[in-house]
Amino acid sequence: MSRRIAGLALLALLAATGRAAAQSSQFGVRGLGYPLRPLSVRGTATGGGFGLFDLESAFNPASIALVSRLVADFQTVQSWRHSESPSGNGNSRDNRFPGVFVTGPIGGTRLAMSLSASGYTDRNFSLASSDTVVLRGQPVEVLDTLSSQGGISDLRAAVAWQQSRAVQWGIGLHLLTGSNRIFSHRVFSDTAYAGVSEKNTLSYLGVGVSAGVTARVGNAITFGGMVRADDRMRVERDTSRVGSTKLPITVAGGLRLQLGERFQIAGNGVYRNWSVADADVVAQGGVGSSNTTEFAVGAEYVPNPKRATHWPLRVGAYHARLPFPLLRGEDTDETGVSIGSAVRFAGERAGLDVALTRVWRKGAPGFTERAFLLTLGVSLRP
Amino acid sequence: MKARRGLAGLLAGLLLTGCQEKLGTPTDCPELCPGTSLTIRDTVLTAKVGLDSTFTGYQRADQVGALLVSSGLAAGEARSFAVFPARSDTVFVDATPQSYAVDSVAFVVQLIARDTAVHNLRLVLHRVAVTVDTSTSFADLDAQLTPASLIDSVLVSDTLKSGAINIIVKGAALSRLVPFDGDSGKLAIGIRVSAPAATGVRLGAVGSSVSPPLFTTYAKANVADTAKQRSVITLNANSSNYAIDQPPIADPRDLFLGGRSGSRTLLRFELPKLLKDSAAVVRATLELTPRGPIKGLPNDPGELQVRGVLVDLGAKSLAISTVSAVAALAAGATAVQSIDLRDVVTTWLGPNGTPASVLLGIAPEGGTFARPEFFSTESGAFAPRLRITYALPTHPGHP
Repeated sequence: MSRRIAGLALLALLAATGRAAAQSSQFGVRGLGYPLRPLSVRGTATGGGFGLFDLESAFNPASIALVSRLVADFQTVQSWRHSESPSGNGNSRDNRFPGVFVTGPIGGTRLAMSLSASGYTDRNFSLASSDTVVLRGQPVEVLDTLSSQGGISDLRAAVAWQQSRAVQWGIGLHLLTGSNRIFSHRVFSDTAYAGVSEKNTLSYLGVGVSAGVTARVGNAITFGGMVRADDRMRVERDTSRVGSTKLPITVAGGLRLQLGERFQIAGNGVYRNWSVADADVVAQGGVGSSNTTEFAVGAEYVPNPKRATHWPLRVGAYHARLPFPLLRGEDTDETGVSIGSAVRFAGERAGLDVALTRVWRKGAPGFTERAFLLTLGVSLRP
Repeated sequence: MKARRGLAGLLAGLLLTGCQEKLGTPTDCPELCPGTSLTIRDTVLTAKVGLDSTFTGYQRADQVGALLVSSGLAAGEARSFAVFPARSDTVFVDATPQSYAVDSVAFVVQLIARDTAVHNLRLVLHRVAVTVDTSTSFADLDAQLTPASLIDSVLVSDTLKSGAINIIVKGAALSRLVPFDGDSGKLAIGIRVSAPAATGVRLGAVGSSVSPPLFTTYAKANVADTAKQRSVITLNANSSNYAIDQPPIADPRDLFLGGRSGSRTLLRFELPKLLKDSAAVVRATLELTPRGPIKGLPNDPGELQVRGVLVDLGAKSLAISTVSAVAALAAGATAVQSIDLRDVVTTWLGPNGTPASVLLGIAPEGGTFARPEFFSTESGAFAPRLRITYALPTHPGHP
């Protein structure tokens, strides 16, 4: 039975790779798109603060070392978004499946392994504008729409080694793949002119490695850290290579405090030198990219320590700078607060996790966005 | 175990339902747009000089699209005729052939179109020789339409735009329809019109989409039972056609359409490589300049048809039947005639595009007074031209 469920989860992972993406945003227009965080629902509910330590997040490969049984996670995100720009306001919503995660111990060893598919960037947007052009000597109003669907997925295979109950190490191999399906359409107010469209697909392919560690000091304090390096990402338009984009090195460090049986708090900081991609992004026609930092803090309260995953209360907050500005020289950042919980049933073999996040984003003058993100996760522990 | 199966099913179900989204983020362009909108350009292509031609003879002489009858029309003086087969000498009453006496006869012609601005139109029928056929000239036919050959005439209602016109012949006038010896019982009629002003009509022909002329005899069978005496004999015309005396083409270099035998004009263009390989046509307009006022019947515009060709074989070019453009050619028009040709030009694009040529014709071929004459490519600024508005890709969406 467990093999069957593991197979099903693997199938889910493979099926999700082409569409792994999360919330759409007007701040996902530039560069490679809106950056996503490879967090579980628990990690999301705690603002990302537990990301380095959460064994169901695909962030720190060392975090899976303590897994004791096979776990398969699947999550979906529904977002409701309000965007404001100098051209107007609007509301939109979308639903995505940003993550599939399977992990488990390798029997007879101190090793654990995981396979996961999570979003790396999301590039879903739909832009509209109007203009007047002169055709055959007459002014004609035109309405343009430019939309993109897709993003880049991060497929990770990770192995972790439990050196001791206190120290764990992990490494991960990453395959970055995905596409943006771009559709441009122009219609004319004069119906004598037929609407015209253009389609193209940008495809991406890259690889990377990551390594991490978690180390507990005493009973209360656990340190975590990870580093990740990605190779150049190949970029193709339809079947023609248009260039490559250098990807950043990611460095993250964090701390978790266990305050009694029922309460723990964790936080981390993440740095990515996205400026290494600047020249490539500009060369491909983009605005550029800049280094990012991200700070997250979260807490979890467990009403029943014997059943830590039965209706815990999770809260968190984070602030992140986004790598691809709308206008060169302008910072784009995001702040979010979140809350969530979970329940396990069927003898702790199945679970449902939920997180609600409120985010505020701002970029160039006049561009703001706020959204509610509802993340639901289903987990199986056969 | 049940819960596990249920959750596994839920997982699979979520996967199968897939992404659902409603994307509509408002943004500001061009400030925010990753790339520019499609580039729109205009160009004017003149047909290849010396490679435009008018060909005739597409219409079989016995399959004209309508019968043309006119009086004083500048587009041409036309007379029509119809030949009916021999009428039976008997009618059947209770499956038994019986001789009969003719009570009256009716000729029914279908009016396809007329100039509704001309009132008091009269349709006049004459008895003509049964030997009339497609080779009969206008002069020969017109010479037979004399007072002596008059059968009858009918005033066409001014409100009738199309439909059946009945000409009833009875009494002494029936003697004008008695078959001549040597005609094998056949009957032929000639048709002309008279009106206070120059005008014309188009009538249904044997080869047209509406009924040809009918010859109906209302007979009284020679039987004692009066309830069984009435009988009707209806005959369709075996053949029908018209003869027309049209003014000659003003300049033999001109391109023209129409005529009884059907004329078509082939225009060839040189499509720029950029347009052929990369563009999407937003609008394409063929512009033709008439030599003078377009000849035709007022208020009955001819339908100009423009088709692409699969293969350019000159006069025998194979037209693409599924893609065409049409435009109405009003009689008397002197302005440049514009025809939207986007669907046709679109077939020229790409590596497998069809030849950049168009075949012009007029419908119904051989059945309209419309006979436009346009300046050819040898006329400089008045030459046929194609005005194309097209879009070039810009590959938007860059990072």
